[in-house]
Amino acid sequence: MPKVKKKRMSFVIDMTPLVDITFLLLTFLMFTAQFKSESESAQTFTIERPGAAADTTKLPDKDLAVIKIAIAKENKLDTSYYFTIANSKDKDAILSKLPDVDPERFKAGIIKCDRDSILLSNFVRATLSVNPKTRFAIEADKSVRFKLAFDAMNILRKNKALTFNFVTEKKKNN
Amino acid sequence: MAGGGTLGGGGKAKRGKHSKRKKKKRVGFVLDMTPLVDITFLLLTFFMFTTTMMQPQVMEMKLPPELYEETQVDASKLFTLLLRGDGELFWYKGKMELKQEPLNAPVKVSLDTNLRKLAEEENLQPKVRNQLITVLRIEDDAQFDKVVGILDYLNQAEIKISEVILSEKNADGTAKFPKRDRRFTIAPLEEDEKEYLRSQK
Repeated sequence: MPKVKKKRMSFVIDMTPLVDITFLLLTFLMFTAQFKSESESAQTFTIERPGAAADTTKLPDKDLAVIKIAIAKENKLDTSYYFTIANSKDKDAILSKLPDVDPERFKAGIIKCDRDSILLSNFVRATLSVNPKTRFAIEADKSVRFKLAFDAMNILRKNKALTFNFVTEKKKNN
Repeated sequence: MAGGGTLGGGGKAKRGKHSKRKKKKRVGFVLDMTPLVDITFLLLTFFMFTTTMMQPQVMEMKLPPELYEETQVDASKLFTLLLRGDGELFWYKGKMELKQEPLNAPVKVSLDTNLRKLAEEENLQPKVRNQLITVLRIEDDAQFDKVVGILDYLNQAEIKISEVILSEKNADGTAKFPKRDRRFTIAPLEEDEKEYLRSQK
């Protein structure tokens, strides 16, 4: 009887491989993790990006201004433009150029332009005068009517920002 | 616990119950890894749930400077795609002449299967090589998704087109075209085109 007891007590699992793999995954995820920026967390809408074939070009981190066109949650209509700027130090400079805009709206880094294309155009112009290196991107929801994206494109075109990007996502079924 | 194993050793591995008991005595050093594993798993699950693997990618657009600028272009160099609001795509070459000639009437093209091939074929026609202007005309209420899809196929076709065009040589061995000159524009549909598209099923 005492022998049987001893055997039970000596039950040991070697956790070393488990710990190895776990640490490996942990370090991987820690280095690849990207946290939501301030403006992203202030964003009250979601954008389902359209799919495109795989491309290695990624959205740059700085010198970037994004015009977002989303579907509003409440009424399922595409209502307004949103404007965000990646460089935080440019924000104040841009705001100082546009005295009419309520700075509180821009604090979180995202500004709602409604359907006001003049306001959006002013922002684009101010952004370019503050930082001419800024690249523009249009991030629109899949089901947004093209008219809105086209108007945004024309605003960019009028401000001589002829090269810009559409934000897409890797197509899933390919 | 973990981290054990045989630290001591050397010589032949002994077998049998007797030797086992002896080994145990030698390996006195055991590290309790349980708290470590707990914390590691906690962090692991946290990072796994917070990371987004799907990074947005971008599609570059280059537009000609003026939209409504009237430029004289040779109609034979035009390759026009028309996207109707419901997502149906049509195309025609040259100038659309609905009333006189039914020949140049827009033809429906399936987006997924034919567009890439069509764009490659049209761009590599010997007469208009490196000169073809692709015009994408889109009805206002077309979905943005469809537009990006079309641009995507055109971009895919571009790979082959520029490869063929840049590899072309003159008789003396110099390259025929120093660089691929891509001409592309997006415009809204015109009234007569809208009417025509509405009449098509």
